[in-house]
Amino acid sequence: MDDFQIYKSYQRLLKNEDLSTPLAAILALTEMMEQSNAGTMFELLTELKGAAEALSRQSLNPIGLKAGCELFIEFITLFPHDAASFSELKTELIRQGQRYAEQALAYRAKIAELAFDFIKDDSVILTHSYSRVVLQTLLLAHKRKRISGEISGSNSTCECFSSHVLCFSVFVTEARPRGMGIKTAEMLTAAGIPCTVVLDSAVAYAIDKVDFVLMGSEAVVESGGLVNAVGSNQIAIIAKAANKPFYALAESYKFHRMFPLSQYDLPSHNPGVLSFPQTMSARARPASSGLPSKASSVLFDNGSPIRITQEDIARNNPDVDYTRPDLISLVFSDVGSLTPEGVSQYLVGMFAG
Amino acid sequence: MPVPEPESASAESQSLTKAQKKAEGRARQEQQRAAKAAQKQQQQSGQNAGSSSNKSKGSTVQKKPASESNKLSSAAASSSKDAPTTREGAVGADGLSDGPKSRGLRIFSHFGLPKTPGHQIKGDIHPAIVKLGLQFSEFKICGANARCIATLTAFKTVIQDYVTPPHNTLSRHLMTHLSPQITHLVTARPMSVTMGNAIRQLKLEISGSDIDLPEQDAKDALCQEIDNYIRDRIIIADEVIEDLAVKKIKDGDVVLTYARSSLVEKILLRAHSLNKRFSVVVIDSRPLLEGKTLLHSLTSVIPPIPCTYALLPALPSLITDADIVLLGAHSLHANGSVYSRAGTAMVAMLAKEHSVPVMLCCETYKFSETVMLDGFGKNELAPMKFSLDAPKSNSNLEVLNPLYDSTPASCITAVVTEVGLIPPTSISSIPLALGRTTL
Repeated sequence: MDDFQIYKSYQRLLKNEDLSTPLAAILALTEMMEQSNAGTMFELLTELKGAAEALSRQSLNPIGLKAGCELFIEFITLFPHDAASFSELKTELIRQGQRYAEQALAYRAKIAELAFDFIKDDSVILTHSYSRVVLQTLLLAHKRKRISGEISGSNSTCECFSSHVLCFSVFVTEARPRGMGIKTAEMLTAAGIPCTVVLDSAVAYAIDKVDFVLMGSEAVVESGGLVNAVGSNQIAIIAKAANKPFYALAESYKFHRMFPLSQYDLPSHNPGVLSFPQTMSARARPASSGLPSKASSVLFDNGSPIRITQEDIARNNPDVDYTRPDLISLVFSDVGSLTPEGVSQYLVGMFAG
Repeated sequence: MPVPEPESASAESQSLTKAQKKAEGRARQEQQRAAKAAQKQQQQSGQNAGSSSNKSKGSTVQKKPASESNKLSSAAASSSKDAPTTREGAVGADGLSDGPKSRGLRIFSHFGLPKTPGHQIKGDIHPAIVKLGLQFSEFKICGANARCIATLTAFKTVIQDYVTPPHNTLSRHLMTHLSPQITHLVTARPMSVTMGNAIRQLKLEISGSDIDLPEQDAKDALCQEIDNYIRDRIIIADEVIEDLAVKKIKDGDVVLTYARSSLVEKILLRAHSLNKRFSVVVIDSRPLLEGKTLLHSLTSVIPPIPCTYALLPALPSLITDADIVLLGAHSLHANGSVYSRAGTAMVAMLAKEHSVPVMLCCETYKFSETVMLDGFGKNELAPMKFSLDAPKSNSNLEVLNPLYDSTPASCITAVVTEVGLIPPTSISSIPLALGRTTL
């Protein structure tokens, strides 16, 4: 299977709503293994590493995908080689890969169970962008609270109604540039959870009303920090300043052996991010013939107004950012509720052992 | 510090009696010293003869380069020449060091006090260890890695020259032979964590060596183990760390470093050899001024790395330009605090304040299972020769030059080890750091 094909199968797998990038990467790699004609373990591993490399090269934001590839390759390397023949071992590995992906889908329910205990009645939750695990947690909490509300208040129907609807409410940020927060808000509203979309720039305004922050993640890195849709870091900083707990939700396949020292140390960072538009000013400057006229700041010489579109803004802006571990209160994952130090110890124990 | 009147009076009367006692003590010391000097002269001449004979043999035992053994023999010669005059010299030095000592160094009295070079040799000490002890106390060999490698190399010589006495086995007896050697090194300079870890591993190997093995084979096996330790835990580890750390240095970066770490030096030179364009700010501080050595090696490559050299007080104005801070370590403790050259904590804290990432470069064998809360519990004082320009006449002045300090884990962004970049608090979850070399 060549580089293009694996990327295509990865894209096809991603169309499945339930699959996150690491799982799609793992499944893409198992598909590749099915078609591979590697005769030895070494050949297979080389092929896998090449495919992982190709995937991350073609993807715009390879962090989550890399976490999946890393986990799968580590698993294959450490898998006991006691099969009779290599082809048997390979089918076993493929089976294991598929089974892992199947099991991994249940991780979100596990995390939702852990996080559920932290959602008290009448709490106000702030969440950012769109995250399947956050959504699942909120829906589970809503279902449970409604049932318990109905049982406890069954004799006074009117009060019961108001209590079970208002058991908790959610602020969702809009999450520019992709605007995925709106999707979350729509799904929550459809489920009957009171929900308001706040602007990304209004988080500091809203934070005093919030009890805690629930955040999904693209990857949890070795420092115990978080890589997630851009804006997470600023929400974490605001939550820290307002002394509100910041909880991250992450399936263990999102744990990634990477140590970003700063925002600009992320693999998704490239020179284009936050660059100043050279071409535009270069075009504007010779046209304005030395002295800046009053209109030159908004108009080209030919009179057409300068337009900055949303696409222009999105092009120069990062997709993900890195949240430092000291801003995070707890990370809920299928291996338990961990402190950021605990995450890093888990990761070090898993990969560096 | 001005001392209140009545106290100073009592102190005077005390110091009178003290002075008397001291005079007695000094006389006694003098006698011992004379005897010792004579003894040492004999030993050293013997050692000289030994080293020259080794040289003529082609120096199979002494692994040191010829130039160093030359230096040693000349040093030994000069000290033996000095021997008759040591009395005056020693009295002078004593007078100098007695001043602060008699004032008790107050809360710092528990620090390892600097030793005079010609300290006593007790028992059966191998010449290689005597030489090493001198090199340690003179700061000729300095730095955690260098000291560990030098110690292990010297132990190889000791092991090769060791003969198991009759009715004993090597695995039971060798350690009793090595213990005084270790004690001798510790009296020269307090043991470093690296040496402690290496010696613990060596003890394990010795006690585990097969009784039925012929003596020479057992000794060869032990030397092989020592070589493996040096190779795996230091040399190869350093190479891996270089690879990892170099990835974090980007084109156009300003790298700030403090004093001199052999590992940081190697990383910077490696980054330079990979044609990365970066500049270095070397921050240095008295008394050791080790940064000068680093500056020299960074500027003597072709083309030279652009460097800025400044002392610690200039740090606040330079830290704003830095993109990354690279630091070395003496040891890393279980609570994540870093024991390193005095001044490191200040650099790390200021870097944190300016949100400059701090990368600590440290092999896993530098890990210590103890907890370090501050730099006062354990420290070492710089020898007098590094503080010569201190006014000697003022008896109220005490010169205090701690060699190390402790940096809290919160000021370190990442620790670069041979198992990858990790947060400082996670070092205790690495099996390799805990001495378990197998999974």
